Amino acid sequence: MTTVISAAGLQKRFGRTVALDGLDLDVQSGEVHGFLGPNGAGKSTTIRILLGLARTSGGTAALFGENPWKHAAELHRRVAYVPGDVSLWPNLTGGEAIDLLARLRGGTGDRAGYAARKQRLLEVFDFDPRKKGRAYSKGNRQKVALIAAFATPAELYILDEPTSGLDPLMEQVFNREIARVAGEGATVLLSSHILSEVEELCDRVSIIRAGKTVESGTLAELRHLTRTEIAFAADGLDPAALAAEIDRIPDAHDLVIDHGRASFTVDSDRVASVLPELTRLEVRALTVSPPSLEELFLRHYGDELTERVAEPVEGARA
Amino acid sequence: MTAFGTLLRQRLRRDRLQLALWLVGTALLAYSSVAAVADTYGSESERSEILQLATASRTILVFRGTPNGPELGAFLFFQIFAWLALMGGLMSTFLVTRHTRAEEEQGRAELIAATPAGRVAPTVATLVLGVLANLALGALVALAFIVGGLEAAGSWVAGAAIAASGIAFVAIGLLAAQLFRTSRGANGAGVAAVVGAYLLRGIGDASGTPSSDLLHVTPAWPSLLSPIGWGQATGAYVENDVAPLMLALGFTAVLVGVVFWLQSVRDQGASLLPGRNGRAAAGPALSNSFGLAWRLNVSTLIAWAVGGAVAGLTASSLSELVAQLGGEAPEIADTLQAALGGGATLEQAFIATFFGIIGVLAACSAVQVGIRARQEEAHGTAEQVLATAVPRTRWLLEYWFVGVIVIVVVLAAAWLAGLAGAATSDGADELVPLISQAALAQLPVSLVFLGLVLLAFVWMPRLTIVLGWVLVGGAAILGTFGPLLGAPDWLTDLSPFTHSPVPTGDDVDWAGGFWMLAIGLVAAALAVASMRRRELTTAG
Repeated sequence: MTTVISAAGLQKRFGRTVALDGLDLDVQSGEVHGFLGPNGAGKSTTIRILLGLARTSGGTAALFGENPWKHAAELHRRVAYVPGDVSLWPNLTGGEAIDLLARLRGGTGDRAGYAARKQRLLEVFDFDPRKKGRAYSKGNRQKVALIAAFATPAELYILDEPTSGLDPLMEQVFNREIARVAGEGATVLLSSHILSEVEELCDRVSIIRAGKTVESGTLAELRHLTRTEIAFAADGLDPAALAAEIDRIPDAHDLVIDHGRASFTVDSDRVASVLPELTRLEVRALTVSPPSLEELFLRHYGDELTERVAEPVEGARA
Repeated sequence: MTAFGTLLRQRLRRDRLQLALWLVGTALLAYSSVAAVADTYGSESERSEILQLATASRTILVFRGTPNGPELGAFLFFQIFAWLALMGGLMSTFLVTRHTRAEEEQGRAELIAATPAGRVAPTVATLVLGVLANLALGALVALAFIVGGLEAAGSWVAGAAIAASGIAFVAIGLLAAQLFRTSRGANGAGVAAVVGAYLLRGIGDASGTPSSDLLHVTPAWPSLLSPIGWGQATGAYVENDVAPLMLALGFTAVLVGVVFWLQSVRDQGASLLPGRNGRAAAGPALSNSFGLAWRLNVSTLIAWAVGGAVAGLTASSLSELVAQLGGEAPEIADTLQAALGGGATLEQAFIATFFGIIGVLAACSAVQVGIRARQEEAHGTAEQVLATAVPRTRWLLEYWFVGVIVIVVVLAAAWLAGLAGAATSDGADELVPLISQAALAQLPVSLVFLGLVLLAFVWMPRLTIVLGWVLVGGAAILGTFGPLLGAPDWLTDLSPFTHSPVPTGDDVDWAGGFWMLAIGLVAAALAVASMRRRELTTAG
């Protein structure tokens, strides 16, 4: 397995604004890598640097082991890119834009193969290629870039929030295409702030915040960082006694008894050690909920969220 | 604050710089033309001779107006009114499209229409802004004339005429916004209407009935179909009759009624003329980045080439007339030659001056190619191209190459049209080498501006558009009007246009051309080389 993308201590400043502040990113060949972060965290800036469209202010970035700034054009032969907000040429039709991008990428050498791939994608994405660029909605502009990307064979697909603007049906089509290219051995970097999408598609994820990588690893690895919720029916148990029992379990926190159910949380890697205690208590209607990426995300951004909500809303009276 | 008030203030705020530039620019043009006319044609007899000449030639009337006596005010009104009205018309249609169809196309209008402001208030606010802008334009032009030394009553009538014709174009712009799906289409229709009104008046004026002393011309009926013609019909400084302006206001009222009716029956975002579908797949021309650069510039190329051809045809057909004049009225010929400057004979001076203007056209077309590159970058489409196997330097080099083709085509169109115009003339043998030299002489200066705009694009991307137009516009004004307004040599020498070789028919001093050719190529090479180190700079 080789490293396709490696970035270490990546920095990018625009004047006084710091967009990237020591970002690390490693993507191995053949993996679908989720690149998570809220808007403005630096996802698109990182992608621009990886594509050699912007220079680093510090740190190193390599694509297939090469400097993307110096070897942009050669590297791009191996890469298919879908921007976050696709702009089209107002006077070119969608079909023309798809062909143009595919040709510029050098992916149309096999004419019949390309035509067949394009035709299939036009059908599955339910896309009308005859309209002028300015007439397409955001979702349809997105489809142009997606079809152009998936119609050309590439070793690496860099997708910047590719499903923003797609409806749920189209998201499913997109997921199948990702599974297809991954199955063919391609590497995918999928930037997103939609957790369910990443959870469904990605082998590994990197979570960034304010231009820094805060977590990186497989979903399983990251899940250990969060807490599993354990709940059971509390009727018939004396609340005070129950609380005392739970308190004896190491790592159990946040006990709540409400509406006839008791729940507490435990670090995900300690779940097994809790089970004997639960057996002893002869609990009924037991549920064990593994953490979702949502919680993972909230854990990293939760404080930011609380701060924002707590801020007084200026001009609310006006 | 009502929705209307808020929308009007938003429009005023958004346009404050743009409108100020239009208004001040047009007023300055008005003021400088008073100064220039008073300077060049100081005496009434000189003005009479010029008017008689113009009336006799007819073609000049297309670009001026109908003579209405040799008094300074009337003479100036004849010289400049149609141009000022053209400026006012363009200001009006661009203003209207910006606030109506462009907003609708971008989806911002929907945001506003979903508030209690509704769909009608934005149109009303745009109409009111257009009327206010034209009233301000009329007032500023009137003041410019008064400050320039013309009598007040006539100046106010001239100002009112400009305002009224501009207001008519506001209504035409509003109609175009209802008809077309895109701002491009609406702007195109608006410009076509303004230029069409200008030409309609030109044709009407040129085919009008002259008085026996050739100092007055009564325009033929086509002029009375044009808002610019209505303004001219006031006879400012002589008759001072504002009745024709009622025609403009009535026309506006009817059109505005139609506009609000159309808006009430169509959907938000829809248009009366539906957008057409295009090809489902790209043709072979669109198989590389050069094909794309070409495709993105070809429509502007055609527009500039048509302009070049019209100018070339005008140059050669008028020069014949001017040559006749040299024989018949030598003193007027001398005045003209002094005003034009340069060239051993009047004919040479005339061709040199006209092709100098064609050089400005070609330089502008080159600047527009550089601006297109910046628009591609700011719009985000260049990012997609540069994320494919297209190197940055090659991408820019291709834009330079397209720029060179555009320049060559514009100059070739002017050259061929000039030759066609000269073919019918007696002195064709002399004209052919003169026109060929004059056309070739504009190539270096155009390449200088192509190089400069690309340098601006690479070094100061966000300023590309402003710098491009300011450089070419400033240099053109300095080069053409500098000598006329008595600017010192060192100042006019700053303009590359003053260094274009002057055609003489035999011995031409090409040195300035070679220098500029070198500068143009070096600037382009520097731009392409600097592109190696240049990041993508998106809008904002």
